[in-house]
Amino acid sequence: MKPYEWMVRYTPQTDWVQGGGLLIWLSFFAGILGSGSYLVSLYFDSAAGALVSWLVIVVLKGGLHIADARKPLGLWRMILRVRTSWIARGMVFTICLVLFGAIQLVLSYESPGSSFETLFKALTGIAAASVLLYEGFTINCLVGIPFWSSALLPAILVSWGIFQGLALVGFAGFQADDRKALGAGNTVFLAVTVVLTVLYFWNAAYAGATSKESVKEIVTGRLGLLFWIGTVAIGFAAPGAMLLGGYDADPVARATLFVLEALGCLSFTYAVFRAGLYSPLI
Amino acid sequence: MARWGMVIDLTRCVGCYACMIACKQEHFVPPGVFWGRLLVTETGKYPRVRKISIPVLCNHCEEAICVKVCPTGASARRKDGIVTVDPDKCEGCRYCVVACPYQQRTYLQEKNKEYFPAQGLTEFEKIGQILYPHEARSVTKCNFCAERIDDGIRKGLKPGLDREATPACVNMCMVKARRFGDLDDPDNPVSVLIRERKAHPLHPELGSKPSVYYVD
Repeated sequence: MKPYEWMVRYTPQTDWVQGGGLLIWLSFFAGILGSGSYLVSLYFDSAAGALVSWLVIVVLKGGLHIADARKPLGLWRMILRVRTSWIARGMVFTICLVLFGAIQLVLSYESPGSSFETLFKALTGIAAASVLLYEGFTINCLVGIPFWSSALLPAILVSWGIFQGLALVGFAGFQADDRKALGAGNTVFLAVTVVLTVLYFWNAAYAGATSKESVKEIVTGRLGLLFWIGTVAIGFAAPGAMLLGGYDADPVARATLFVLEALGCLSFTYAVFRAGLYSPLI
Repeated sequence: MARWGMVIDLTRCVGCYACMIACKQEHFVPPGVFWGRLLVTETGKYPRVRKISIPVLCNHCEEAICVKVCPTGASARRKDGIVTVDPDKCEGCRYCVVACPYQQRTYLQEKNKEYFPAQGLTEFEKIGQILYPHEARSVTKCNFCAERIDDGIRKGLKPGLDREATPACVNMCMVKARRFGDLDDPDNPVSVLIRERKAHPLHPELGSKPSVYYVD
């Protein structure tokens, strides 16, 4: 962008997609993946799936946040700001998910079926749902970027979380009895994610000039290749073809399905972040 | 308690960039970072084209979005309306940078960046690192020259009227396009200017209630 175009035309946000900002985008992705798959693991009662999801949250999401933080020991301050900041709320939800999840995983191993285990399953489920929801609300509340200010965005991210969570649990904590249910769930959430994505872009294209410009950037502009190949071909079409061909019991096929869906989510979130445009100041 | 604000008369601004340079000097702002900027664009179609320059800076909003979203409380609004960033509390999450609809915040990636690469820091830059150190991996922005205002008030001076207690960009403006004063005082020249010249903030529809107004 040339200096004389800056702020007087549509200006893209760059802070969360360039340099160290990439860590924020990746932790955003890790939050969607980990919390979505944790919810799926709880639904299918998959201890292995829950353990992998918990590790995604602790190692990947937590690690990326700590790597990006200027003073990791100062992160405690976020607990005091939950009234106004979605990032602060997310921090609290994530801590709850990590703590309740750890207790629940131990109880699932030590005393499965106990009332304590059920209680912690419920608490972990609430925390996982909160983490999954906060990711969308974190960017949805920013009025300066009209493309993000859509109620559909949190819904799409929830759908992506469960969609790829089903694939992760199908790969990591697969149980033969649940094969059909996992396959059907994955197909349904693939369809829901596609429909929500189309609705989101459709709605944004008519929500104002700036968000229309963002949609153009994704569909036909500089992010077109990334979106059509990364999200549509790899994230939607390829998993769709695999799912329609039958949810394979082969672990390699299940791993491939997860990788494809995760790549699709990575490319979708990156495209949405990169397409976040500010309205011209003047 | 006063509520500090600024009025910029665009009919007077000649686009000389002096305000930008004054701000850089005052705060030893590192290369690539601007607390105040001058946007230059044009309106109309050939042959009736007009060049317009609009100085922009942090709007020190009454309902500051950056303050609301800050997860650590590093961004805060003082009682006199000045929005500040405490680098000691800032975790560098850049949420405020992304949230500011006026794009007036900058994430400072590295420290000791030289104005003349590979030639070392100039004497001026070295002094700046002692007098006004900018913390790396934290967010920085215009503070309405809060230190000048605070010092001036301690000395019994009036910000906006006495140069020593007035922001550097206002002092430097050779055509007096910038005025600074108390928005809560109806007799203050700034309030009079807003009332009489129908000054308006940028993007009032966002609801952040900026404290910087423009006359055009």
